[in-house]
Amino acid sequence: MEAPVTHPSVTVQRQTTSSKAALTLAALIVLTIPTMPFWASGGYIRWAVELSCLIAIAQMWNLLAGYAGLLSVGQQAFIGAGGYALFVLAGKLGVNPFAAVILSVGLPFVLAIPFYLLLKRLDGPYFAIGTWVVAEALRLLTSNISYVNGGGGLSLRVMAEYSQHQRAIGITILSAVLLLLTVGGTYWLLRSRHGLALTAMRDDPVAAESQGVNVARLRFLIYIAAAAGTGLAGAVYYMAQLRITPESGFDPYWASICIFVVMVGGIGRIEGAIIGALVYFFATRFFGQYGATYLIVLGLLTMFMALYAPGGIWSLLTKIRDWPWFPTARLLVRNR
Amino acid sequence: MSAVLLSVRGLTKSYGVVRVLDRVDLDVYGGEVLGILGPNGAGKTTLFNVISGDIRPQAGTVEYSGAALGDEAPFQRARRGIGRTYQIPRPYAAMTTFENLLVAAMFSAGRRERDAYAHCAAILHDCGIAERANLQAGSLTLLDRKRLELARALAGEPKILLLDEIAGGLTDEESRTLVELVRRIRDKGITIVWIEHVLHAIMAVADRVIVLSFGQKIAEGSPSEVMADPEVRRVYMGIEV
Ligand SMILES: Nc1ncnc2c1ncn2[C@@H]1O[C@H](COP(=O)(O)OP(=O)(O)OP(=O)(O)O)[C@@H](O)[C@H]1O
Ligand SMILES: [Mg+2]
Repeated sequence: MEAPVTHPSVTVQRQTTSSKAALTLAALIVLTIPTMPFWASGGYIRWAVELSCLIAIAQMWNLLAGYAGLLSVGQQAFIGAGGYALFVLAGKLGVNPFAAVILSVGLPFVLAIPFYLLLKRLDGPYFAIGTWVVAEALRLLTSNISYVNGGGGLSLRVMAEYSQHQRAIGITILSAVLLLLTVGGTYWLLRSRHGLALTAMRDDPVAAESQGVNVARLRFLIYIAAAAGTGLAGAVYYMAQLRITPESGFDPYWASICIFVVMVGGIGRIEGAIIGALVYFFATRFFGQYGATYLIVLGLLTMFMALYAPGGIWSLLTKIRDWPWFPTARLLVRNR
Repeated sequence: MSAVLLSVRGLTKSYGVVRVLDRVDLDVYGGEVLGILGPNGAGKTTLFNVISGDIRPQAGTVEYSGAALGDEAPFQRARRGIGRTYQIPRPYAAMTTFENLLVAAMFSAGRRERDAYAHCAAILHDCGIAERANLQAGSLTLLDRKRLELARALAGEPKILLLDEIAGGLTDEESRTLVELVRRIRDKGITIVWIEHVLHAIMAVADRVIVLSFGQKIAEGSPSEVMADPEVRRVYMGIEV
């Protein structure tokens, strides 16, 4: 990326060899996804889209819980809101569905503001419960709005106007944009000036505040950003599903996925959310058919990690080799 | 004597029925080193917590630079020049030592990132932790964590620096170096309030001393006056003088 910053007396290094390799690879992956309709089967495209959504949702939860210390179990509020916004914009108001995905971010963004003003009064576990209550309230409300067909949900019939191939192109581009905005955006944020404050806040919010960090405002901004990112993922996900119901869009199971993915992968690290998402995704693909047994195994794995490897798989990997993919550190290279 | 920089009046803080601060009055003059002594549990750290805004008192006021610090949040007080260290160090454990200082330099002192680099590198050097610059702060020894607390507070370029027991566990040699450092900080015009159990350090550098006991101010004066006070000697019995 950028050259080391040089100062008369000190030099600060931001990238490592491993991170340059990882960034190149990440850029290649993001660029490759939109080409998939030209060479990959529909099944693999679905995988790529779902995995992108999962990574995005997990990364947003990681920002929220891992950095801002806001333990939400109600991010499904924004997944559902993003999804419903898409179905209303494209299905009812005649907006081009692909453009509607991007515009859908507006609803979770706007909802997040009053939600946060309400929730910020709550501490720790009360905050968590509050987020869940808000999401449930939104689910119940949606089930009772006849404009969106209440509990019956909506279908995205307008997609029938596009060929399978056109749809695949549109949705893979959107998935790539989603990854770029959520993972790339998080990385950009964490490397910025605000990232320094956010990382300090992750490690010790009391000390961060005493060093001039406006912790309350940063939490608010992160909550809004995470809502928008999560909502975008919801819109992309339900565009691929072609159908949304209050039960699926606002499913509390989304919260369990967030917790599993980030705890197992490594909380408070960009790499952690990605690894956790990969583990969850492939575990579900290969062992999902075992139903309840599989869920119990996932639960046990989460508990095991929480007890014996609180830093998740990523921290275990860094113990073997400290090769960061997305380093945010500022290393003082030469001191006089 | 120069002007009052910080003025505390009638400060009272209770936890349940326990009065931790009991109508404390206190003036800190610009440019001085004020030592604060007192036995364990006297309310010294609580006094700092009220001044820095970490906790709110039940009664009393804190005036800084001639204006009352009412509802200002800790981050606003930090930006206005009230810097502090924590008795039990609170490093940003997964950040490097250097980055710990950057946070203060950029958010408390409001420096631009590039301006902050050399500034923080120089402070690391002054505080004797330059070789630890790229180590995770969580991996530092207690001694280095205490140095980091001081270094980080300095990086925030405070006008008044609240030091909470930074000399504990130092050898005589290290303690002399620390006293020298505190003098140099004072000579730069930074006002210092220093809570310390290591008496000889306070005696060596403080212009004035106050003593707290059970939340009340029981003595105030020059170091030698305060040490001659019979009440102080009684409270400090058993502690090296
Ligand atoms: N959050 C709290 N809740 C209840 N009691 C508290 C709290 N914080 C401090 N105290 C009590 O207030 C009293 C004063 O504490 P403080 O930390 O101010 O003492 P101190 O003078 O700094 O002591 P030391 O020399 O041991 O650091 C102690 O009895 C302590 O137990
Ligand atoms: Mg104390």
